[in-house]
Amino acid sequence: MDWQFLSETFVSLISAIPLTLELAATSIALGAVLALAIALCRLSGNKGLEWFARAYVFVFRGTPLLVQIFLLYYGLSQFPAVRHSVFWPFLRDPYRCAVLALTMNTAAYASEIIRGGLLSVPFGQIEAARACGMPRLMQFRRVVLPLAIRQALPGYSNEMISMVKATSLASIITLMEVTGVAARIISESYRAIEVFIVAGAIYLAINFLLTRLVHLVEYWLSPHLRQPVPYHPADVSAPALEGDAR
Amino acid sequence: MTPTPSPIALSVKKLHKSFGNVEVLKGISLDAHEGDVVSILGSSGSGKSTFLRCINLLETPNSGEVTVAGETIRMVPDAKGASRPADRKQVDRIRSQLGMVFQSFNLWSHKTVLENVMEAPVHVQGRNRAECIEEAEALLAKVGIAEKRNFYPAHLSGGQQQRAAIARALAMRPKVMLFDEPTSALDPELVGEVLRVMRALAEEGRTMLVVTHEMGFARDVSSRVVFLHQGLVEEDGRPQDVFANSRSERFRQFISK
Repeated sequence: MDWQFLSETFVSLISAIPLTLELAATSIALGAVLALAIALCRLSGNKGLEWFARAYVFVFRGTPLLVQIFLLYYGLSQFPAVRHSVFWPFLRDPYRCAVLALTMNTAAYASEIIRGGLLSVPFGQIEAARACGMPRLMQFRRVVLPLAIRQALPGYSNEMISMVKATSLASIITLMEVTGVAARIISESYRAIEVFIVAGAIYLAINFLLTRLVHLVEYWLSPHLRQPVPYHPADVSAPALEGDAR
Repeated sequence: MTPTPSPIALSVKKLHKSFGNVEVLKGISLDAHEGDVVSILGSSGSGKSTFLRCINLLETPNSGEVTVAGETIRMVPDAKGASRPADRKQVDRIRSQLGMVFQSFNLWSHKTVLENVMEAPVHVQGRNRAECIEEAEALLAKVGIAEKRNFYPAHLSGGQQQRAAIARALAMRPKVMLFDEPTSALDPELVGEVLRVMRALAEEGRTMLVVTHEMGFARDVSSRVVFLHQGLVEEDGRPQDVFANSRSERFRQFISK
């Protein structure tokens, strides 16, 4: 084992971690917003919106992310109309293209996870919100969404981990994130095994921390699923009400 | 009974409701005065729960009129020839004056008991938070679960959950309380604690509509008994009258079971 080389590689790759994290965090955050919108379209009851959501998920879940990134970055620039459009300053930038492709891809998967969460909300709890006069948006904000998130979070953590790994594909459109830098070192040193082992370990470490973070959030959000802390066996200390109806 | 009847808290006129081709309510009218405790009885399928759910528009009646504390819910015909509320805000406002208690409690599972009780006063009615906490705690004490304030619904027994749900409904300071079979989902030994709370509310003079199978409650606590049969009011009167000698053969059969 060439420890010297390994540690040099490690130091080089560390400098690329911020870009990997930035790609992942941005696309997961934007993707979540887009996913919620798509899930709501799908559940809207409006035929047009529902059709749009189905088509979106079908296309972006059914084609490889690699192909999507290629088409977005190299494909669109083939058209002069695109190069002369207002979108060109955006589409010529590999970072923005990568974020856009990752966002659109994760939104397709995540919309289905969120849809499952929304469908799992017990109807009685929505009715209770309605019955006390909550306007629709408040019902959604205060009852439906909090319950749906709790249900969707374990499934969503899978998707987040996938996204961290998927950022490696951004390297093919010249971005120097962890895999991009690894590929450069390999082309200079011809030592693929060592470099990829270090790169893999970095992804593993990121995902380990991510998993712990999601677990922590899950823990915060689910006190209602754990045993209550204190237990009072006799809780009829002060019967405030008299009378027996039976 | 009383020389001058108290004002009408809730008035329902000629309520019709169909599910598909099945007409569940065939024109039900009912006036509840302030302080009335109306027990609504009927065999399953008689439309009693549907009737209650039409009052706060959890079900949309096909036709008819609901008036709460003098304000009539405005309905307009919809595209399919049925009706829909003209103004959602009005519906929300009227709903907040009707405290609904469900058969299956329907407490919000991600909120503590105290948060459940405070939710509507703080967020729907926009009342002062500190004042709402105080009032919520008083209500929880009243229904006998003050020490469960920080528990989540899943950690309570059915009877405690239903009492929390009653406190939640009371927290909106409703004009009328609607109970939809509040004890039907409970173990027999837990029914009593919920009925005791309801009896105390009746004695406070609250206006209550109670869909129930508890004959004891209907007979001893309510001031009026309405018996629904196949979507129509079959019997309506003071409990001491209707339980002793009802004109309705069906009601006599119903209570003899």
